[in-house]
Amino acid sequence: MSNIIDIRGFGYAYPPLTPDQEPTWVLEDINLQVQAGEFVSILGPTGVGKTTLCLSLIGIIPQSTGGVIRGDVWVDGLNTKACSVPELAQRVGLIFQDPETQLFNLTVESELAFGLETRGLQPAEIEERISWALSLVGMSDLRSRSPFHLSGGQKQRVAIASVLAISPKILVLDEPTSSLDPVGKAEVFSVVRELRRKQGMTIVMVEQELEHIAEFSDRVVVLDQGRVKMEGPPQSVFGHVEQLKAVGVGAPQVCELADCLNKRHQTDFHFILLEQAHKALADHLDARG
Amino acid sequence: MPGGEPPVNPPLLETRNLEFEYPDGQAALGGISLRIERGEFIALIGQNGSGKTTLAKHFNGLLRPTRGQVLLNGEEVGERSVGDLARTIGYVFQNPDHQIFSATTREEIAFGPANLGLKESEVAQRTQQAMDDFDLTPYANLQPALLSFGLRRKVSVAAVYAMRTQVLILDEPSAGLDWRGAEELMRRVADLNRQGHTILLITHDMRLVAAHAARCLLLRAGSLLADGPTRQILGKAELLRQTDMQAPQITELGHRLASRGMSSTMLSVAEFCTAYGELKTGGEARHASRR
Amino acid sequence: MRVAVDLYVRRQSWLHATDPRVKLLAVAVGLVILLAFKNLYVMLTVLIGLHVVHWSASIPREKILFVWRTLLPISIMIATLWIVFYPSGTPILEFWLIKVTPLSVAQGLALALRINAMALLVFAWLYTTDNNELVLSLVKLRLPYSWGLVLSLALRYIPTFQATYGMISDAQQARGLRISEESGFKRVRVMMPIFVAMVISALRTSEDLAKALEARGFGLVGTHRTFFRDLDFRGLDWLFTGTLLLAAAVMIYLNLSYSFGQHVLRLFP
Repeated sequence: MSNIIDIRGFGYAYPPLTPDQEPTWVLEDINLQVQAGEFVSILGPTGVGKTTLCLSLIGIIPQSTGGVIRGDVWVDGLNTKACSVPELAQRVGLIFQDPETQLFNLTVESELAFGLETRGLQPAEIEERISWALSLVGMSDLRSRSPFHLSGGQKQRVAIASVLAISPKILVLDEPTSSLDPVGKAEVFSVVRELRRKQGMTIVMVEQELEHIAEFSDRVVVLDQGRVKMEGPPQSVFGHVEQLKAVGVGAPQVCELADCLNKRHQTDFHFILLEQAHKALADHLDARG
Repeated sequence: MPGGEPPVNPPLLETRNLEFEYPDGQAALGGISLRIERGEFIALIGQNGSGKTTLAKHFNGLLRPTRGQVLLNGEEVGERSVGDLARTIGYVFQNPDHQIFSATTREEIAFGPANLGLKESEVAQRTQQAMDDFDLTPYANLQPALLSFGLRRKVSVAAVYAMRTQVLILDEPSAGLDWRGAEELMRRVADLNRQGHTILLITHDMRLVAAHAARCLLLRAGSLLADGPTRQILGKAELLRQTDMQAPQITELGHRLASRGMSSTMLSVAEFCTAYGELKTGGEARHASRR
Repeated sequence: MRVAVDLYVRRQSWLHATDPRVKLLAVAVGLVILLAFKNLYVMLTVLIGLHVVHWSASIPREKILFVWRTLLPISIMIATLWIVFYPSGTPILEFWLIKVTPLSVAQGLALALRINAMALLVFAWLYTTDNNELVLSLVKLRLPYSWGLVLSLALRYIPTFQATYGMISDAQQARGLRISEESGFKRVRVMMPIFVAMVISALRTSEDLAKALEARGFGLVGTHRTFFRDLDFRGLDWLFTGTLLLAAAVMIYLNLSYSFGQHVLRLFP
């Protein structure tokens, strides 16, 4: 069994804001296994606990946040309650939503060097890893730039590079494109697609950009009210448009279309991508003669 | 225009050859002329850096033109203060956390109307109305900064709405919201438009544009590249490609099937579905007129 | 009010290549020494010397003018106050109770020039040292690493907070907040919506930043931290340090034993 991530019966409550209040449970009972090399997308309405789940994979929850935890999260064989956060950070690279607060160094280069300096690597090896990581995300020319002068897409790519330089086995991305414009979003998705293809990393991505999710996820997990509500390949999950709408997550437009056509015109379409829809509808129209 | 005819029914907002340069000389807007009538629902689209926000900030006086004019109801905005213009032009910023500061949601929403110098009873009435319209009454006595992001977003919109401005400018209102949150928010905004408010929506979300905006202003590098009905703008595939804009999936799909009979630009799933149905039964696809 | 935190001028020069610790030492020593001198000719010489330093370090003219322009109000104030309050010798001009004498004019000028010299000395260091080097030089001089990190984070986020302030100010003014009409304490009260939103923003930022630091492995115990770009104390740096300390010693000796440079117009009174 090569489950690189194993979440069993996991629940978490943040510490209450005032001492007399009860802790609020964000996640109730999460059961999820991820195999090495898989690309899993996590969907859910805002506030459902997606960020909580991401932070749990690296041990920041519960070690830095306190609160109440139940169940276990195993990452690469380590338990996130017992193993230190820096050690877990060696295996899990976490990319946050806000580019501004996760680029905290004065230049792109020092940003990439930071995690490696902390681990006591020698300058020669640091140089090698910096060059490699920057080339993977296409940011080699901007090495001495200050993060303040980068575009949103560039910032997130630098964030990904600074995490890659540490060579984690798992990449966890928490809505990396939500504050980016379409150009920036495309840049980030392109990098993630390349990483998937070339490096074969295990990737867990929380996203709202459903149309991209449909394209390259092996598996889609939908969270609702603290639990895993739906799970499976995008082909099957995105077929349940009504259920996805009820959860509050919605579906790619072509999936809504397939659903609409099937209901109104008694067709049997199951496409989830634009190209698939094009082909299916074109064939269908041609068949009519 | 010196002398000239007195404006009869002037547009609500107008710019004439509006140019703007930053203090360091960097050009941001180059010669933009446009007119906005009362009650319109307009989307301001274009890449980051195209000047959308820069243009919008000229309407409520946050920025002043380097050259050219900005007119409100036929009169030049000139040196009218931001506070004064806030009576007519409401601006909801992209990040709700740049607005929220009060101890309770009620106080937060009351802040805007109070600044307008209204009677206390009027302020209270407008505040309550805004909370009801945006389903925020359950949170009236809670601290807005501690609410979830989706709720903070609604609070920031309600807080500007409570000022009952004729114009409402919304800067990326759906950013960071889930599907349902965006739908609910835009439904409220559409209601406001139906009641007569003029809406200027700055957004990257082309699905929202297609669903709600009747007219699009497409900006690139500080110039107004296109100004027309949404259906027309989204129908210009080449133009969208040039400006790195992505049409909604349904629109793109419709264009790809043009050779098989989808003759007009699709703006929604429902439209496409109907048109497809007609096409299937042998007729030319016609789009249902929406507004 | 924009506080400039990135004064670094990216060029290649002997001064850029000099170890920042030596530059820091030169500034500290230079400031102390300058304070011991009041002579007009000494100040003029020092100023000429500093301009040569800036020019040879490829610092553009605008940057040097920036220093002079910024210090102009203070320079004028110092010169004027000295002239008004410390007349000495026979006056050449008199109105009301103010006696203007050649000596006091010379002294006022010398003191004004001294301030400019001190500023040019400090900027010679800041223009040729980037923020990373600056923090690193302090850490190498035994500042605890965590303090260095705090300084580095401050330099990194000050521009961000300035931008946030601008956005919050815009957002609140767009809701009818009028700030230009008040002044003094009332203005501070009126600007509370901006300040509170700034504080909340700062709190959110620091929370997110803490998580980002942890996720990058900060706090790893048991490993000795390395420095990717390290400082190299070259032979030339030793030479500079030696020369600097020697020159300083000579100046101090002359100043204390012979009152060299303590009179405004006579080098050896």
